[in-house]
Amino acid sequence: MTITPHSRQSKIYMFVVSALVPALAAVSIVTGGSVLVALLSIAVGFVVFYSMRSLVKEVSRAHEQKCFLDEQLIQSQKLAAIGELSAGIAHEINNPLAIMAQEIEWARYQFDGKEPLDINTAELGDSLGEIARQVERCREITHKLLDFARKKDPLIQGVDVNRLIEDMARLVEKEASQKNIRIIREYRKDLPTLHTDAPLLRQVVLNLLNNAAYAVGENGNITIGTRTPEEGMTELAISDTGCGIPQKELGKIFDPFFTTKPPGKGTGLGLSICHSIIVRLGGRIMVESQPGKGAVFTIRLPNAHKPGK
Amino acid sequence: MVIDDEADFLETIVKRLKKRKLDAVGVGSGEEGLKMIENRSFDVIILDVRMPGMDGIETLKEIKRKNPLTEVIMLTGHASVESGMQGMQLGAFDYVIKPADIEELIEKVNQAGERKALHEEKIRKDEH
Repeated sequence: MTITPHSRQSKIYMFVVSALVPALAAVSIVTGGSVLVALLSIAVGFVVFYSMRSLVKEVSRAHEQKCFLDEQLIQSQKLAAIGELSAGIAHEINNPLAIMAQEIEWARYQFDGKEPLDINTAELGDSLGEIARQVERCREITHKLLDFARKKDPLIQGVDVNRLIEDMARLVEKEASQKNIRIIREYRKDLPTLHTDAPLLRQVVLNLLNNAAYAVGENGNITIGTRTPEEGMTELAISDTGCGIPQKELGKIFDPFFTTKPPGKGTGLGLSICHSIIVRLGGRIMVESQPGKGAVFTIRLPNAHKPGK
Repeated sequence: MVIDDEADFLETIVKRLKKRKLDAVGVGSGEEGLKMIENRSFDVIILDVRMPGMDGIETLKEIKRKNPLTEVIMLTGHASVESGMQGMQLGAFDYVIKPADIEELIEKVNQAGERKALHEEKIRKDEH
């Protein structure tokens, strides 16, 4: 059973009250009060003790039930995410398939009952080119999925986090400054060396920076910072002054295929890949946002690598 | 190995890497680079993103397909986020913006080399 602050508090009350009543009884005897009064207060003490105890039990049972329901809710949300995932794959792959089917149909029509010399080879070439492009599109989707599913163990090296972020920031800065997006640095100096997989972390940082720039669009700031939230941990935060994320979408943004970008602009795998990378690196990624005021993505990693699930 | 179509840059960087006791060769295109890895294995490849013919991303794909353990550092003149994300996803070790500071570049080459050694050691352990 988990003890919530609430039920812990009621337990303390329970013991204070039940200890207080016999104490009062003892005091009344010593000060010359009647034995009857003393016995009466002891009885009251027991009654209070038992009623309080059953109350506390009731509360903790209710709490247990709530935990159970919460867990079920998370489980069903996960199942819904899997459902969405397969719907997402189906949708992403269906579009290129439809285009290919159409092109094949068109190519067949070009052949239909014609002499070889009459066949319009330019049209056929176009169709083949389009089919090749769509195959490539499908391949990209499956590659990203494989990337997503692949549980390659990270390779751990000592990394200067500030350096790593700065490199990625510079990569984003030029394009960002053309859109009047300023990058503000708040690096903590003398950060301890982080033991992690550098290319994987770079991939995450670049992805978050790119998302931040996308969220801002034009005219705004991206702030990148590093901190030591507690001994042995490193925290990096990337915040933007962009459009923010609506409350109802916050719980879904790390789900595969969840995207708010127009079709064809994003596969919705970016953040879910970030999430799985950070978990693999033994860390956590969190998001906070107020719509209209931007979003903050925070990554927390242990300085000494502990493999995640 | 360094792959870059700018002959002047290529010559200088190879010279400087050699001076640091790094066994380096330079080639002028992605196609030549891929031919090189047919016969020789490289620990680290420094690869220019924008080249005529086969570009950096295409070359990176091929390198990783042929020899996944070789670490690739991408070198880019124009900082393009899109190609950066693509490159990192394809398994590049790092992205360096030109003009690159030689000390920094050497530092990154060393880290990439260390990573490759770690990788090989891990594979050896897994096999036993």
